[in-house]
Amino acid sequence: MNISKIANLKFFFTNTKNLSRFLGLFTFILFFFGIYWGLYVAPSDYLQGESYRIMYLHVPAAWLSLQVYMFMAITGFVSLVWKVKIMEIISIQCAPIGAYFTLIALVTGMVWGKPTWGTYWVWDARLTSELILLFLYIGVIALYSAFSDKRQAVKITSLLAIVGLVNIPIIHYSVEWWNTLHQGPSVTKFEQPSMHISMLLPLLYMFLVFNVYFIAVLIKRVQLGIYNREKRSKWMEDYLSD
Amino acid sequence: MLRKIIYKEFKSYFRNLNSIFLPLIFFFLIISIFPLLIGPDKNLLNKIIPGIVWITVIFTTLLSSSNFFKDEYNNGFIETYLTSETSLELILFLKIILCWIFTCLPIIFFIPIVSIFFDIPLKNSFVILFTLIIGSPILVSIGIFGSSLTLGIPKNNVLVPVITLPFYIPILIFSASAIESVSSGLPYEMQLYILTALLCFVLPIMPYLLKYTLTLSINN
Repeated sequence: MNISKIANLKFFFTNTKNLSRFLGLFTFILFFFGIYWGLYVAPSDYLQGESYRIMYLHVPAAWLSLQVYMFMAITGFVSLVWKVKIMEIISIQCAPIGAYFTLIALVTGMVWGKPTWGTYWVWDARLTSELILLFLYIGVIALYSAFSDKRQAVKITSLLAIVGLVNIPIIHYSVEWWNTLHQGPSVTKFEQPSMHISMLLPLLYMFLVFNVYFIAVLIKRVQLGIYNREKRSKWMEDYLSD
Repeated sequence: MLRKIIYKEFKSYFRNLNSIFLPLIFFFLIISIFPLLIGPDKNLLNKIIPGIVWITVIFTTLLSSSNFFKDEYNNGFIETYLTSETSLELILFLKIILCWIFTCLPIIFFIPIVSIFFDIPLKNSFVILFTLIIGSPILVSIGIFGSSLTLGIPKNNVLVPVITLPFYIPILIFSASAIESVSSGLPYEMQLYILTALLCFVLPIMPYLLKYTLTLSINN
């Protein structure tokens, strides 16, 4: 099986139906175990008590929000350079998912911030750059929806996403430099991770679950995108009438 | 060819003098509305006037650059540019510079007057001036990039600001911090250097990026 066959819209549409169903169900089961692990099995924090447990939603969502943007920009780049149709659809369908992840990260962060910092929102570096990431996503979605010619729209929005990807580190470090108050990253310190392994493992597991969820939703959305683009083509009508 | 294009640009800016003076009037209007809104307290005004100046510059550049290519797109000039023998990158670079000269330079010339109005010390007003001279070309070129992205859309009033404002943030952060440092007596050179680095990064790339976007917009 070669790449060009998978990249074919018809092949993708007709062969991934069961896959997305399976992944959706799989996510549900994995998510259940992850929540159990994070909320009951993992020990409570000696400083923050039980409120830290929202981390098991907050941190994977925040990671995914950046990862999805990167994925969107890279697939957009591939679609611009090699003109792969499926990549165009994948790239643009990433945008709403990433925006939702960003929103989840922001809302759970606010919920965590109230008992810990005493306020829902502070203008702190990482919160602010997450908010700006949300604005970047909204820009991409708004630009896409403003075009009436969707193929043209995808080309332009991929370009915006690529420029945004170049800009994200600049924005991030400038905002970080502007003000920092956030709890420092406690996972990626290699010498001495400041998080105990019994808390870290559920977190990494939840990251995996979020990834599976992302793939499941992405496949579903890509199917929808293919349907919207190809609904007048012959094979789609044949396939749906069967 | 190049000389003719520059001549045409100059002529079109000078024929419509409104396009030079109205941004300036707009700038003054917004600046003078702020004291009416927050009260004439001098200490407060002194603290926030750099931010006000920058916000007003953002508005002005957005207004002047959001429909930058519209007329040329509708008249078919862009196709002519794309097929001409002169390098399009050079033309676009000149257009960015000219847009900056006619929209931001008048504002920069009027910063001393604003400093008199708001009683800003000389040193602070020089730093505001420097940040504007270095930062506003970046703002203009990003705004023009935003307008080139929205060429195929018939009505795009608020879209360009929504797309481009997140990209403005690093420039705004460093300029505001330079001004704040100088008003509290701290060293401010580092922020100016970073702004200059951003300018050196953005300005040479922008014509190529614009050319690519224009070819994408034309080939639909």
